Amino acid sequence: MRRVAIVGAGMTPFGEHFGLGIKELLPMALSEAEANVDKGFARADFEAAWFGELTTSDGFASGILADSCGLLDIPITRLENACATGNDAVRNAVYGIASGAFDVVLVMGADKVRETSTRSTFWDWMTMTRDMAWDYPLGLVAPGNFALHAARYLHESGATREHLAMVAVKNHHHGVTNPKAQLRQEITIEQALNAPLVADPFGLYDCTPQSDGAAALVLAAEEVVDRYTDRPVWIRGVGLGLDRVMHAHKRDMTTFPATVKAAKAAYAMAGVGPDDIDVAEVHDCFTAVELIDYEDLGFCERFDAKSLVERGETAVGGRLPVNPSGGLKSKGHPPGATGVAQCVELVEQLRGEACNQVDGARVALAHNIGGPTAVSAVTILGSEPA
Amino acid sequence: MSSVRSIGTYLPRWGTDAARVCGPDEDAVTLAVAAGRGALRGIAAGDVRRVVMVTRRPPLVDGGNGAALLAGLGLPATTDVVEQLGGGPAAMATLATAADGTLVIGVDTEEGAGAAGALTGPGGAPLDPGSTLARSLPVRTRDLDGVVHDYDDPRLLRERGSARAIGMVGAAGGVAAVTGLGAREAAALTGPGAPTAPTRGASAPLFAIAALTEAGQGGTVLALEQASAAVAELSAGAIAVHHDARRAAALPQLRQHDGPELAIALAGYDRAFDPKLRLEAARCAACGTLSYPPRLRCLECGSEEPTSTVALPRHGEVYTTTTIRIPVPSLATPYSLAIVELGDTEVRLLVHVTGTPPGVVRIGDHGTLEFRLVAVRSGVPDYGYAFLPDEVDDPTEKPENTANEEVGP
Repeated sequence: MRRVAIVGAGMTPFGEHFGLGIKELLPMALSEAEANVDKGFARADFEAAWFGELTTSDGFASGILADSCGLLDIPITRLENACATGNDAVRNAVYGIASGAFDVVLVMGADKVRETSTRSTFWDWMTMTRDMAWDYPLGLVAPGNFALHAARYLHESGATREHLAMVAVKNHHHGVTNPKAQLRQEITIEQALNAPLVADPFGLYDCTPQSDGAAALVLAAEEVVDRYTDRPVWIRGVGLGLDRVMHAHKRDMTTFPATVKAAKAAYAMAGVGPDDIDVAEVHDCFTAVELIDYEDLGFCERFDAKSLVERGETAVGGRLPVNPSGGLKSKGHPPGATGVAQCVELVEQLRGEACNQVDGARVALAHNIGGPTAVSAVTILGSEPA
Repeated sequence: MSSVRSIGTYLPRWGTDAARVCGPDEDAVTLAVAAGRGALRGIAAGDVRRVVMVTRRPPLVDGGNGAALLAGLGLPATTDVVEQLGGGPAAMATLATAADGTLVIGVDTEEGAGAAGALTGPGGAPLDPGSTLARSLPVRTRDLDGVVHDYDDPRLLRERGSARAIGMVGAAGGVAAVTGLGAREAAALTGPGAPTAPTRGASAPLFAIAALTEAGQGGTVLALEQASAAVAELSAGAIAVHHDARRAAALPQLRQHDGPELAIALAGYDRAFDPKLRLEAARCAACGTLSYPPRLRCLECGSEEPTSTVALPRHGEVYTTTTIRIPVPSLATPYSLAIVELGDTEVRLLVHVTGTPPGVVRIGDHGTLEFRLVAVRSGVPDYGYAFLPDEVDDPTEKPENTANEEVGP
């Protein structure tokens, strides 16, 4: 397979963009990504595009990207894979180039969560993620989806709500300096612990906000990379993993098997292991999920994630900084855009240009887990091709 | 004359000792199932030929409740089922004239809620029908749309309604038990210390018969409903009585949130109906693994051979749980969810928690699965099972704040 590099990356700020529709957010992110290409970029160079979007706010998704961005003459595939959508769009685009079919392709991710009323959002999401006859009517809303895992995880691991609060405090702290982040304020452990409960054990500060936003990556085959930049970021590994869709069928709810499978595939393709990762953007839609991610991604032993946050090892400045962008928790979570935006952050990290720069970062990992905790995507990036 | 073999009664957990109220996941069908299952304890399904549910509050008028009732009771869908609109006199007369093999269930869902089911069959206590009387003095009315009118004249009702009815059915000389009257008026007829019922409607005469039986008594039972009445004569005999009633507790404060009507896909509802309402799993012919919900391909070995149907155990242990405290449109919050591992199987169910305040259940708690209303979806009552924790000493609810903010997916 041919090697694939990212030569340009951009994103809109994440937030409640009531004043901007999907048809504005897409060209904004794309223009920023093109402007980020060192030696200049002509839109006509794109030969294909993969567009990750969970929900469509204004109708037919691929057509909206083509129409709003002037991409009417290339094939565009809309992709939906729950919260793993963004990194799965990257994965599919990588194969498009690696196969030899295309030299230059676009990856976009976007969602307008705040385009529907908060009243209907919960049920819209449950329609996409629950068995209609069996689980849908139970009202297992998104926080509850993960809270069932978190409750069992705390029960078995010995971690406490204080450890969840440490994750929230860390990611909020990282987000303060990120101009693209939605929640740019410091919080304290006490604030997190005393916040109103959402779904036990999650309080308000354990939860991601609802966000709108878009992110874009320009991908190029190794043969043409030099046309665009002298400092490409290489996509070294991609992986996707699945799990059973009904919570009652998940035998061990203290881990996400989908993540384990996605990580195994991505590490193998990249030829690296967890110890080689210098910086990571992981799925922290709810704080406990970040702790479980550490273990599933191999950053620590099982049930030892609490030690990592206690010792500050995953804060910027620590051994393995996680979510220097602020993560979903602080940066925001427009699901289709989330994975793509993680890669935007990691491109900046590997080029030494990030707002919370991790010194000497050379290998980086992006991760999502989503749907009924049944799909995960992992992408491994590097400043060297291998 | 009928012969009463067994009686099962059920009182919702909520309300006061004087008057129970239904929980948000209860209706006439779930109450009827709870009482009926008590009456059917130790009874072979083949001994039941007909089920009659007598109530003034059937959940559906069009659409029907019989299939859900039979499924909850664990009776074949081929059992004759009658949904009878009526109160105490109707239940009384129906039971006293029922052929052997009839399960008569009276259900009351308004304040003073409860249900009682009585099964007829050989070897039980004889119940001899007496007079019945239908008269019209509709002091309180309710139409099909639920619109209630109350004429609000208790003395008129007493003098021209119940007092005349009692005389006309020949019960003025005293009875062993009376239902449908206030405690003082009832005591005036029965004398002090007579068995009483916790309800006043269709279930009340069946509660009274159970109470008389437990007191080792027989005698005349009088059921009243406004100006109508029925009497029956209970002879001493063996009736197996099973009560399902917990200590009364105040209904937790729940908040109902406006929102979209919950969607339903009726084709999926139809496919899930039997396993969901009868709590039946599929056993793999190749490896014996139980799959729930039943599915084409075995969860364990992948076999796609035809499966057999297996009733699941109805007790289990909480594997994990959460309580949803934010507003969820169309639902009453807060509510607790639990994943429960059943009996000695590896089968787990994701279910609501019932009969206990939200947020009280913990991992490792034991309890039973009970037939409940999961939701009403586009006008369709969606029944299934909920987890009822075993009764322990006064569970105390931890006071907690509740978020009003919205959170993301």
